[in-house]
Amino acid sequence: MPAFILKRLLQALPVLLIVITASFFMVRLAPGDPFSQERALPVEVMKGLRTYYKLDQPLVTQYIEYLKNIAQGDFGPSFKYSGRTVTEIIGAGLPVTFELGAYALLIALLVGISSGVIASLRPNTWQDYVPMSLAMIGICLPSYVLGPLLVLIVGIWLEWLPVSGWGYIPGDKILPSVTMGFVYAAYISRLARGGMLEILSQDFIRTARAKGVSESMIVLRHALRGGMQPVISFMGPALAGLLGGSFVVETIFQIPGLGRYYVQAAFNRDYTLILGMTIFFAVLIVVFNLLADIVAAWMNPRLRSGKSAGG
Amino acid sequence: MSDSNHKIVNRLLTALFVLLASACSLNYESNVESGNRDQILHLGNGDEPQELDPHITTGIPEFHIQHALFEGLVAKHPKTMAIEPGVAETWEVSEDLKRYTLHLRHDARWSNGDPIKAGDFVYSWKRALTPALGNLYAYMFYPIQNAQEYFEGKLDDFNLVGVHAPDEYTLVVDLKAPTPYFLQLLDHHSYFPVHPPTIEKFGAFGERGTRWTRPGNFIGNGPFTLKEWKLNRILIVEKSPTYWDAARVRLKEIHFYPIPNGSTEERMFRAGQLHITERVPLEKINVYKRENPAALSISPYLGTYFYRFNTTHKPLDDKRIRMALALSINREQIVERVTKGGQIPAYNFTPPDTNGYTPRARISYDIDRARALLAEAGYPEGRDFPALELIYNTDEGHRSVAIALQEMWKQALNINIRLSNNDWKVYLDRESHLDYELSRAGWIGDYLDPTNFLDLFVTNGGNNRTGWSNQRYDELLNQAGMTGDQTARYELLQEAEAILMEEVPVAPVYTYTRVRLIDPTVRGWEDNILDQHPYKYVHLEAAE
Amino acid sequence: MDNARSSPSLWKDAWRRLSRNRLAMLGLCVLTVMVSLALLTPWIAPYSYSAQDLDLGATPPSGAHWLGTDAFGRDLLTLILYGSRVSLAVGFLATAVALTIGVLWGTVSGYAGGRTDAVMMRTVDILYALPFTIFIILLMVIFGRNMFLLFMAIGAVEWLTMARIVRGQVLGIRRQEYIEAAIVMGLPRSRIMYRHVLPNVLGVIIIYTTLTIPNVILLESFLSFLGLGIQPPQSSWGLLISYGVETMEEYPWLLFFPAATLSLTLFSLNFLGDGLRDALDPRAATD
Repeated sequence: MPAFILKRLLQALPVLLIVITASFFMVRLAPGDPFSQERALPVEVMKGLRTYYKLDQPLVTQYIEYLKNIAQGDFGPSFKYSGRTVTEIIGAGLPVTFELGAYALLIALLVGISSGVIASLRPNTWQDYVPMSLAMIGICLPSYVLGPLLVLIVGIWLEWLPVSGWGYIPGDKILPSVTMGFVYAAYISRLARGGMLEILSQDFIRTARAKGVSESMIVLRHALRGGMQPVISFMGPALAGLLGGSFVVETIFQIPGLGRYYVQAAFNRDYTLILGMTIFFAVLIVVFNLLADIVAAWMNPRLRSGKSAGG
Repeated sequence: MSDSNHKIVNRLLTALFVLLASACSLNYESNVESGNRDQILHLGNGDEPQELDPHITTGIPEFHIQHALFEGLVAKHPKTMAIEPGVAETWEVSEDLKRYTLHLRHDARWSNGDPIKAGDFVYSWKRALTPALGNLYAYMFYPIQNAQEYFEGKLDDFNLVGVHAPDEYTLVVDLKAPTPYFLQLLDHHSYFPVHPPTIEKFGAFGERGTRWTRPGNFIGNGPFTLKEWKLNRILIVEKSPTYWDAARVRLKEIHFYPIPNGSTEERMFRAGQLHITERVPLEKINVYKRENPAALSISPYLGTYFYRFNTTHKPLDDKRIRMALALSINREQIVERVTKGGQIPAYNFTPPDTNGYTPRARISYDIDRARALLAEAGYPEGRDFPALELIYNTDEGHRSVAIALQEMWKQALNINIRLSNNDWKVYLDRESHLDYELSRAGWIGDYLDPTNFLDLFVTNGGNNRTGWSNQRYDELLNQAGMTGDQTARYELLQEAEAILMEEVPVAPVYTYTRVRLIDPTVRGWEDNILDQHPYKYVHLEAAE
Repeated sequence: MDNARSSPSLWKDAWRRLSRNRLAMLGLCVLTVMVSLALLTPWIAPYSYSAQDLDLGATPPSGAHWLGTDAFGRDLLTLILYGSRVSLAVGFLATAVALTIGVLWGTVSGYAGGRTDAVMMRTVDILYALPFTIFIILLMVIFGRNMFLLFMAIGAVEWLTMARIVRGQVLGIRRQEYIEAAIVMGLPRSRIMYRHVLPNVLGVIIIYTTLTIPNVILLESFLSFLGLGIQPPQSSWGLLISYGVETMEEYPWLLFFPAATLSLTLFSLNFLGDGLRDALDPRAATD
């Protein structure tokens, strides 16, 4: 296992390098100027700014310069927020985003797995239909619908919970966490049910049942391991999405997290911030996909042998 | 099996119920309640401020904050926008209207207690004109003698620029030409002073993005000073004890919240989190009109919403076609049914009563004439008219107006317009490179003078973006720039406006309004067309 | 072993089992109706999709407008019908793109293992990480704005998770005894994959596909905010829903009906998907 992890971490280096390189050139080639605005800029100002941010140098020089800087941990100043560095901006949003992501993850896993497993044990009964219908509604109600709906009902009509903020008023963390967790819960629940049904129809489960092993034993000891495989494969990117922040949820609830920068920095053509966010997200992807694969191997020893046999 | 399931479900439901019930019993004080008690104003402020440096920023959110943190040589009356003394107590203007001598008050202080000297303004304006700093508003200084030359690098010696401090409390400004609106410019943030020792402490003279605007480092001269600034969360300013007019300032703090989303902001207002919002979502305006008119504030705003025509592009190079399009816009219906925010239909480019100037030339709503012109130009009943593309940037309001216009043109002229949504930067790129056919646009005035609007369309002007050029128009604006007498000047501008409305490189749609939600406890927040609200006059009074 | 499950009888059996599943048949019927309505829209829509009545504005459902009208006085039923053309096309075609790439990629990667697997899955990681908004803006500049690009763009992001999930399943199955046996017997690799591996991952593929379709339909509205895909006065379910949210207090029907239409479609898809899964289950076939 340590060799496997080490190998994957080594593979991460070329992955990051390719992501950085591709993003760097994509961002520079995209139409639109970081400094353009409604009012025309005097030529002198434009020239001054381009010199200041070294945009007047050849692209390749800029690229090499950028690589050198990030190797030293310097992600440069944001183009839009001229007084702040990219590191500072990401650093400010990170704790909030991680906390929100963690709560949402908890909700998603608890609700998703339990409802999915319950549904799979009693297929085509009300214990299946109710959670699955809820899950399907969850999939049809994206967070930009669910969020405002929850705020309206719970926050404004019933006045039970605050409508916005993060840690300003007690209870203001509940609605955003639920909003963000619910959609993922819906996905997980569908995938968990599917994976479980697949496993429960397999011969070894039938054999166990025939031998009179108790149902809960079957579920906990045998079925869950294989049945969770699709959920685990899904969790890699899902975790990165949860902990990378959500533009929609952060906007609806006025949360100072990172999610809004993914979209906003791209719209602003804030070159350094886009790249900084991309690298941050790439690291999350690499780490969580690796974690997901490790968990998958641990849950299902067959995969592990497959891995070492393959390479 | 199913028994244990029931137990789990029951337990989950109980937990949920307990959670909600406990949340329900949380009784917190809203921002508005606590704010009213402590004189703390909670303000929705649009986007996160890009920066606080008055010589770098251009946005409205930054401007709102800078007006609390700084004060220019003059200020404005909150209601009439008439010029009032600021850091300068008195001033004289020479006979030829080209020399302003300003006398600074002796009790004006920086927030660290240092006196404000005339030299600080010379220093600040020199900084504002340093190209390396990238001040997008440097052109605001161009009325000053040699300022443009210095900024463009044609001149190295700042002593030749028309701003001097003969003594510590006197500032002399020499202008290129009589500029009737010059005093107004002194209240613009690009003319605000910065504290020289603070600038030097945190970086070089012309360096961008230094840390001098951070809480703790910041020194300003306004009625408030910077207390706290949390990225994307809140910016707090508190009353400055060293401000010369501190006795008048009644608010203890102002909390500026960056809230980019209008619906979120409206919900926060409803939950008592904000005293004043930056805007009101389109679909909420009628709700407030009906249910809570006291909270809805609609005031005229110095700005024109219009459409640009690319006059270098066939068939829009034909002014009859442009006129036909401009004539068939039912502006009344657009402001009544689409924008709903009390906007005023615009039949000319400069907003009405811009410092006493109301344009006489106007286009009308005249479908018959529009059809006749279209036929005359070779497209009777819209036959064979090419499907033109209309670009706008992603925004609910722009989209709505475009959808309405598309159908109006279809009905009136039987022509098809394709709508094309663009992200902001692509939209700007296409517009400035004349890579469009029709484009939605808006212009907000920085100061009260018609040239602030008419200057847009001089030949090759950076903000022209229509490819339109008219020699007579250029001459008229040039002449107006050298005329000191307001009446004669306005006559020249009337003629220019008439040319513009005959050639229609742009079709005006409406004059903007500012639509906000304001809690009734807010006092001293006056409506005015520049949407400037000097905070020193504002206070909160809880309803009895 | 191989010939025992020859294609014709496999599909015939599957259809027989499917047609006995009432929920699945109901789902199939609803979907057929939806698609037919979408195809027939230009002839059956009560109004023109661009026809406005600004003075009428937004009105609740009535005899003249069964589902009400929007702020421009446009008939909501007409908008939903025209929107279904866009949304169903995007939903099915883009999902088909994602499905094809994702399943192929995942199966090959999971089956081959070793270096091939590593390279393929790291490619997936890279594509996940690229900045999507910038990618779309660039695509539009290079290829112009058209519907084909819309499918490409959506397919390009949606296949990634599919590939991961399929690979995870294939890895598990690859090590099972009957696959090993088939390899030992010297059956060609493509046949093993098609006959033995794919049928076993089908269940999860079907589930994830039914999850992808609504996701794609909603993603389309984000892309049209970027200027890709459909533009007003055309509409789509995703756009109708996202505008409906803004006015849900004033005009709840503008959110309710588009969301209900999408939900109905999704429910039908799920019933059909579950039915298909049961019908195609290879283990059920040997019962």
